Amino acid sequence: MGRKHLFGILYVCLTVSVLAEVVNFHGHDLWQTIPGFSALYGFIGCIFIIAASKALGHYWLQKEEDYYD
Amino acid sequence: MIEWLHPGLIFILGALLIPVLKGKWKQIYLLLLPIAALIDLLYMSKGVFWRLPLLEYELVFGRVDQLSLVFGYVFVIAAFCMTLYALHVKEDGQHVSAFLYIGSTLGVVFAGDLFTLYLFWEVMAFSSLFLIWYHKTKASSEAGFRYIMVHIFGGICLLAGIILHLQNTGSIAFDSFNWGTGWGYLSSYFIFLGFLINAAVPPLHAWLSDAYPEATVTGAVFLTAFTTKSAIYVLIRGFLGVELLIWLGAITAIYGVIFAVLENDARRLLAYSIIGQGGYMIAGIGIGTAMAINGSIAHALCCALYMALLFMGAGAVLEMTGRSKLSELGGLYKYMPLTFWLYMIGAFSISGFPLFSGFVSKTMVVESAALMHQPLVWLLLEGAAIGTFLVAGLKLPYLTWFARKDKRPIAEAREPPKNMLAAMGITAFLCIFIGVYPQALYRILPYPVDYNPYAASHLIGMSQLLLSTFVAFWLLRGMLHGTPTITLDTDWFYRIWGKKFIWFCEKPLLNFADSVDDKVRRIADSFVWFSKNPSVASRIMLLTASTVLLKPFNPNPVYMRYAQDLEELRRLYPGEVHRVAIGSGVLLVLLFFTLYLVIYLTYGVLWV
Repeated sequence: MGRKHLFGILYVCLTVSVLAEVVNFHGHDLWQTIPGFSALYGFIGCIFIIAASKALGHYWLQKEEDYYD
Repeated sequence: MIEWLHPGLIFILGALLIPVLKGKWKQIYLLLLPIAALIDLLYMSKGVFWRLPLLEYELVFGRVDQLSLVFGYVFVIAAFCMTLYALHVKEDGQHVSAFLYIGSTLGVVFAGDLFTLYLFWEVMAFSSLFLIWYHKTKASSEAGFRYIMVHIFGGICLLAGIILHLQNTGSIAFDSFNWGTGWGYLSSYFIFLGFLINAAVPPLHAWLSDAYPEATVTGAVFLTAFTTKSAIYVLIRGFLGVELLIWLGAITAIYGVIFAVLENDARRLLAYSIIGQGGYMIAGIGIGTAMAINGSIAHALCCALYMALLFMGAGAVLEMTGRSKLSELGGLYKYMPLTFWLYMIGAFSISGFPLFSGFVSKTMVVESAALMHQPLVWLLLEGAAIGTFLVAGLKLPYLTWFARKDKRPIAEAREPPKNMLAAMGITAFLCIFIGVYPQALYRILPYPVDYNPYAASHLIGMSQLLLSTFVAFWLLRGMLHGTPTITLDTDWFYRIWGKKFIWFCEKPLLNFADSVDDKVRRIADSFVWFSKNPSVASRIMLLTASTVLLKPFNPNPVYMRYAQDLEELRRLYPGEVHRVAIGSGVLLVLLFFTLYLVIYLTYGVLWV
């Protein structure tokens, strides 16, 4: 099973789960009733976390390993 | 039935026998102790036991209710897995300190009063210190000192709070503390601060990410479960429903993730994940509904197991390759596939994959945040779930076991010893077991559970979140490569200012002290000089004063004579000392006494 197959399965799962939400949406608040919200949040959230922490590290927090010596 | 036997005592007293035993017998004995403690716990009825009167107070070593029992179970089960993992370790000291650490944590869990709590709290800090120091590197020794100093500070806060609490209420019972704003709640604030330090809530968390990765391979595994989870336990006891905790928890969860993304050291990355996972439990305590508390407790239990499993995996890599920096690892799948898959079970659990333990506990806390209609908290906690999967489930395994373009591993390695694999296997089994059969966990929680983790909406939401996180990771995986850097955290404050403080003490402060010392010594010297021959000394002083006065009128025969005399006296000093017969000395003493007697007798009569 190649990488292409894996990604194929992955995208099929995502689509099915979004469709399932369209059919049977359920949630406590508005944002939870939007179909595919979690998928979108996961994608954007992941990119945001990587970008934000890398920016923090690059401009401020990351130092050479002998910083404290 | 066995109320008379404290499970912590099994570990603490049991630890004393470890150095006596040898070889196989020692290994069997080490594994038997946690089993004995588990049996002890299983047959324990609820109530208050092991009371001990101390002055006018009563120490309660055993408050056994559903809450303390649940934590007791998981600590003892985790202790078994961890002991199995550490079974090959030859140094008895490591086993002894681990067992003291476990025993004192159980002491904290079953403590019914604040004095007992404080006692075990301190034992916990000091016994765990040795799990760090046994690594015997310069880094571990320094990190250990910082670790214990932070915990001593936390302990002092706790003690100050306890004493104030005792002053205010007159009681040392360990129950829920008053909460509000104002000076009247000072005792609660101190105790809260002490608890938060152990729960590793930013900005008080840096001791954890600083010290845990410097511990021994097996020591770090022990450290993952006890300090932070017992802090969660005491927060549940003392500060249930404190709203501040919701926000602290949500921020903690995100904070841990962001620092884990930046981290290059595998075990430090996982240490930040411990901090982040604690955020969920803390938020749950703040929310304070039955479902949230159940969620917090369930998550603490699941976290104790999968965090141990993750540290076992990273520890196995460190043990076999001598490396833990992600920039120096990669391509190990060929050599350590079993370790990889066992690690991944922990990673799936921490990420909250359906059928793994994190899923049945984490979603409970997140759901209770949604039921509170706190969208921001909900988004932060869900965001932390994304990040947790990203760092512990994708970044770390990808950079450790794969991610070599030339397909050659960076280090030759093989699978770790059998006992380590077995320990990982049992822990992995428990993670899956809880995920597949959550009722086993839910049944022992203190509140009745009205929650179905495998409802369609949870399954769909979680799957979407994780799958799309994976897609984003795959697109950006090039950005996540380890770089040989360290990340500054709040330990910067005490590491840099601490160094400056030591410089201040060594240079300006010590110089000042030296000069004061010198002046005082000179004064003392002059008294010594004077008392060698007071009559001649006073003549010398008189002559010195005269010559100084007469110097402007030089040449002057008087001055010349004085100067000559002074030189002569100084040369011969102290010279012939005038001695008086002993009788005169005694007479003087008698005179003094008589004078004193007269003053004493007439005091209040002739004068006041």
